[in-house]
Amino acid sequence: MMSGEMRKSALMAVDEINLSAEFDFVFEPHLRDPGGVVAAYHTACADLIREEQVDHIVGCYTSASRKQVIPIVERTERLLWHPARYEGFESSDNVIYVGAAPNQHVVPLVRHMLDHISHDVFCVGSNYVWTWETNRVIREIVTSAGGRILAERLLELGEPSVDHIVKEVIERKPPVVINTLVGESSYAFMRALHEATSRAGLTIPMLSCSLCEPELKLIGSAASVGCVTSSAYFESIDRPENLGFVARWKARHGTDKHVSVDGLSTYVCVMLLARAIRRAGSADVAAVRRAAANHRYESPQGPVWVDPENNHCFLTPRLARSVHGCQFKIFWEADAPERPDPYLSNLDLSTIGRRRETSNDETTLRSNHLRVVK
Amino acid sequence: MTRQSPFSVRGRRALMVMRDERDIAIVRRQLGRLGITICEHDPAEAPPPSESADVVVLDADAIPIKSDLTGMWKAGAPIIALIGTETPSRLKWLLELQPASFLVKPLRSAGLYTALVVAFDSVQRRTEEANYLDRLEVRVRSRRLVFAAVLQIMQSHNLSEPDAFTLIRQTAMRHRTTIEQLSADIIALGGMPNRTTRSA
Repeated sequence: MMSGEMRKSALMAVDEINLSAEFDFVFEPHLRDPGGVVAAYHTACADLIREEQVDHIVGCYTSASRKQVIPIVERTERLLWHPARYEGFESSDNVIYVGAAPNQHVVPLVRHMLDHISHDVFCVGSNYVWTWETNRVIREIVTSAGGRILAERLLELGEPSVDHIVKEVIERKPPVVINTLVGESSYAFMRALHEATSRAGLTIPMLSCSLCEPELKLIGSAASVGCVTSSAYFESIDRPENLGFVARWKARHGTDKHVSVDGLSTYVCVMLLARAIRRAGSADVAAVRRAAANHRYESPQGPVWVDPENNHCFLTPRLARSVHGCQFKIFWEADAPERPDPYLSNLDLSTIGRRRETSNDETTLRSNHLRVVK
Repeated sequence: MTRQSPFSVRGRRALMVMRDERDIAIVRRQLGRLGITICEHDPAEAPPPSESADVVVLDADAIPIKSDLTGMWKAGAPIIALIGTETPSRLKWLLELQPASFLVKPLRSAGLYTALVVAFDSVQRRTEEANYLDRLEVRVRSRRLVFAAVLQIMQSHNLSEPDAFTLIRQTAMRHRTTIEQLSADIIALGGMPNRTTRSA
């Protein structure tokens, strides 16, 4: 699903640039679909670079696919514009990371959980690098704040059998569940847990840092409602750039369809690239990289710019609750775009979510840069 | 025992535990150039007996973090870890494995020889240090014994503590035994063993 969402939005951005008088060049897209087969990403990129002579590649959703592409873009001095949020701990000169770094999506979610829900958490996730690392960050923050990881359950990617975990959650009644499952496993888990909690008359809050609007539709309206989600983009962001973007997107793809963070982020990749080319006066990789640095773009998700320190983007973290109609209601956003910290080297555990009796000072401190959005 | 130079790699046996075909091709070619005998092993399978290889080239990304196989690899031949993901969760897993050396992906022909030399050298050092520690532990365990023997000799020979210890040390040297062993004999016999009274 994600690759389709990303392609749709990339092509929309290409068309907008090609029709715009603001750009005196046109993009010629060359499409390749490795179809999620990890080894095929290297071949597809080699082909794009050697056969089509492309300088810039937009794409890759998983870290496994990105790691296949990095050697070839580094060797041939090309740029990969990577739209997806990921687990961090990487910084290639030949990648522009446009998705959220862990400090921009995982940390705000855990902070919210500690401040407003619970210090004890049950983790469910897919058995791969993103969950492993996200769970590690959660564990580090939660235990430092005096909380506990009640369980850490993993399912193989794509595994739809979730009943044993749902059963455990119902039996143990954790105060909160963090869901880092992806794809069908996540949808199956949310449906089954919703059914089981309804039957048992329980309310167990669920948190996610990957749920997006098109997924709410796939999960179904009842089970998808109420999930607290962290993301740098929601379709419901109320700013002129986004209202215009969503209207154009729906005119193109259908009013019953929904934009996702990964689709939007792919659109932003293409826009950042076009603006950097315009600023550089050339598509040359070194010139574009220099021109992209600190070049602010008023995107649908707010101001976005590349931090030349690590090639990741300044983005605005947001928290929202999923509601009926496949939408998210945003209840918090950062005051300003947050500097990317892919290695979490600026994470100060002492300022996050200490239990009430010790947290008075920190609460005051935090309110300086957090703002409640009505 | 003659000490094998870590620089001489020809004839050693490497086990490749990898999945990515391009990486496998690079490692196989480079190991071949170095004259190393190669075996390949499916990362999803339990490790073969540790005597079957002198070094294991193991792709960290080929084994899930929570896998039961991890501990089984740790017990075997020295490991050169191939690292794709530098996330702390993966590095923590890697530390558990105690790799003798590592290489960061993407792999090139350069680097593997260094990784092998560092692996062989660090294993040699580890073995020597472990042996040294064993010897020290024996000595620490015998401290009470030596102390008791020194006291015995102080009384029976009417010597000061340093002189009693010197006598025990010199006697042990003459008879090519350890201070600890001689001390055990002194305690057992209730005095310096007979033959020690004979001059060498």
